[in-house]
Amino acid sequence: MNEPKPPLDSLIDLCRVNRFYGDFHALRDVSLRLAPGRIGLLGPNGAGKSTLLKILLGLLPLSSGTGHVLGYDLAHAGADRRRAIGYMPEADALIPGLKGAEYVALAGELYGMPRRQAQRRAHEVLSSLDLEDARYRRLEEYSTGMKQRLKLAQALVHDPPVLLLDEPTSGLDPTGRDAMLRLLLAMGRDHGKSLLLSTHLLGDVERVCESVVILHQGQVVKQGTVADLRTRRQDRYRLQIQGDPKAFLEELRLEGAHVLQDNGRGEWTVTVPPGWVTRAFFALADNHDVLLRGLQRDDEDLEELFHRVLAERGKESGIGSRESGTGQPDS
Amino acid sequence: MGVDLLHYRPWRGRFHGPFAGVWPIARVALWMMFRRKLFWVIYGLGLSLFLLFFFGQYLLAWSESQLGESTVSIMGVKEDPRRIVDFFKSLLKMNGSAETYRNYFWYQGYMVMVVLALAGAIVVGNDFQFGSLPFYLSKPVSRWHYLLGKCLAVAVFINLMTTLPAIALFVQYGLLDSWDYFVDQSRLLGGILGYGLVLTVCWCLLLMATACWLRRTVPLTMAWTALFFFVPALVRGLVDVLHYDARWRLLDLWNCAYLVGNRLLGIPHRAISPSPQPPVYLAALVLGITCVICLSYLNLRIRAVDIVR
Repeated sequence: MNEPKPPLDSLIDLCRVNRFYGDFHALRDVSLRLAPGRIGLLGPNGAGKSTLLKILLGLLPLSSGTGHVLGYDLAHAGADRRRAIGYMPEADALIPGLKGAEYVALAGELYGMPRRQAQRRAHEVLSSLDLEDARYRRLEEYSTGMKQRLKLAQALVHDPPVLLLDEPTSGLDPTGRDAMLRLLLAMGRDHGKSLLLSTHLLGDVERVCESVVILHQGQVVKQGTVADLRTRRQDRYRLQIQGDPKAFLEELRLEGAHVLQDNGRGEWTVTVPPGWVTRAFFALADNHDVLLRGLQRDDEDLEELFHRVLAERGKESGIGSRESGTGQPDS
Repeated sequence: MGVDLLHYRPWRGRFHGPFAGVWPIARVALWMMFRRKLFWVIYGLGLSLFLLFFFGQYLLAWSESQLGESTVSIMGVKEDPRRIVDFFKSLLKMNGSAETYRNYFWYQGYMVMVVLALAGAIVVGNDFQFGSLPFYLSKPVSRWHYLLGKCLAVAVFINLMTTLPAIALFVQYGLLDSWDYFVDQSRLLGGILGYGLVLTVCWCLLLMATACWLRRTVPLTMAWTALFFFVPALVRGLVDVLHYDARWRLLDLWNCAYLVGNRLLGIPHRAISPSPQPPVYLAALVLGITCVICLSYLNLRIRAVDIVR
């Protein structure tokens, strides 16, 4: 059998990857180069995340394009590639009737581990994921949180360098979600696993990942580190104003701020340009005879940023399509 | 859940190739079947048929030694020994000839059909229904390994009910008769293995294909009932009652396997009942085409694209 490949600079390297389902274009010219680490694959439902994971795993062929995962060509080496990857599917993917330990050991055997070792390893992994007491329970009796951990256990049984996780917090309550995220973080940070975490929940990515790829309608709309993404956040404030705010808000606009919201009860949300100091609000309020009764920082969270990026992208593609359209003037 | 992964340890070892995954797939499928009591009941019924053939041989030998008597008592029932000998020799052809094994396969086939009709949903249908397919195919095994594993499970069951007991009968006849039986009738052993192989390959592929298509037990049972009960009944009506062309029997897959099995056991075509029968090569062709259609369907069906939907 092939020995595991030495660590590579590139975990995933895709060049103009396309995937069609009949007429439906699920992935459009996806080009990515990702170094090993904890990577979030973000996008709304139907963005192409699961399709991309399945392509990386070799479950789906490419319609066009080229790519490598851990140095394995996507067009070949399906078995070797899958052996280097642990895949946690979104769906239950359980075998009713089996017990937890049998299920994980079966996964080990399917990865090619000798039976005895697979059994021993299954017990080890289940213990480390706090499923020791549930090892001999039938899978039908597992709770949602336990099922999620069990799916993680079957992906970990052969100790792969890479884990592909498809919506690992799906269906979990807040406590279960928190525990799963801590687990994944520890797996990546303390045990050196590369994670590709596919989710539509930005909070999950923010907690676990170092870098992020945003997919929308089958295209990569953003790629960068989570820290980068955070710096692109807008600085926002919520202001409660007493007095006539018209001139004050006009002055704010001249200074480069944007008024986003007015809730009709004297409360405004404004974004400010980089380098803005809070004192400036008070100085401007003084100039325009208004009283700031409330001033609260209200930064955009990643969730909102995510939607803004998608909206900007939508606008751009709208303009693009108009520009490349019939050339008729707008009415 | 206080998971801190403190106990997580890396694993270093050598992996086997994807073929090593075939037996675990088969093992789990077999286990899924045998953990249901119903299968044990059907298997028990199948075994009782084998025991009828097995101990019938002794009963036959004993009855022949009692031909001088007007009646003999079997478990308190008075019976003419000539009728017992007639029953075993004419109906079951229990004489260690090719007909013995042919009949055994024929009668046991009904049990196999019942088992397969019920097993399809458990062995394959559930993988589609419960989404277990991504679990298998996300491992280094390909869809062909997956199919091979599932077929192996079904094959084990079919052969446990047909080929292995038939071989046991062959050995028993040889031991009861003389050692020359093994030499003189060695062709029969090949025929038994061949007949078993034909049943195994054809019924495995047919079961896989129908199970992938229908998935659930009730539709599967209905489909198998149609294939192996209604179609044969219809064909018998057409050929035996309405005297249609014998090639109509080619619609009956069980009859096709029966014809090929007869040929493999060396039974002359004219000695096959019911008659008339279509040529054996046509029956083999029908079985071959059925297998190719099933394989093509499976190739299309167990693609990853199905996992995505």
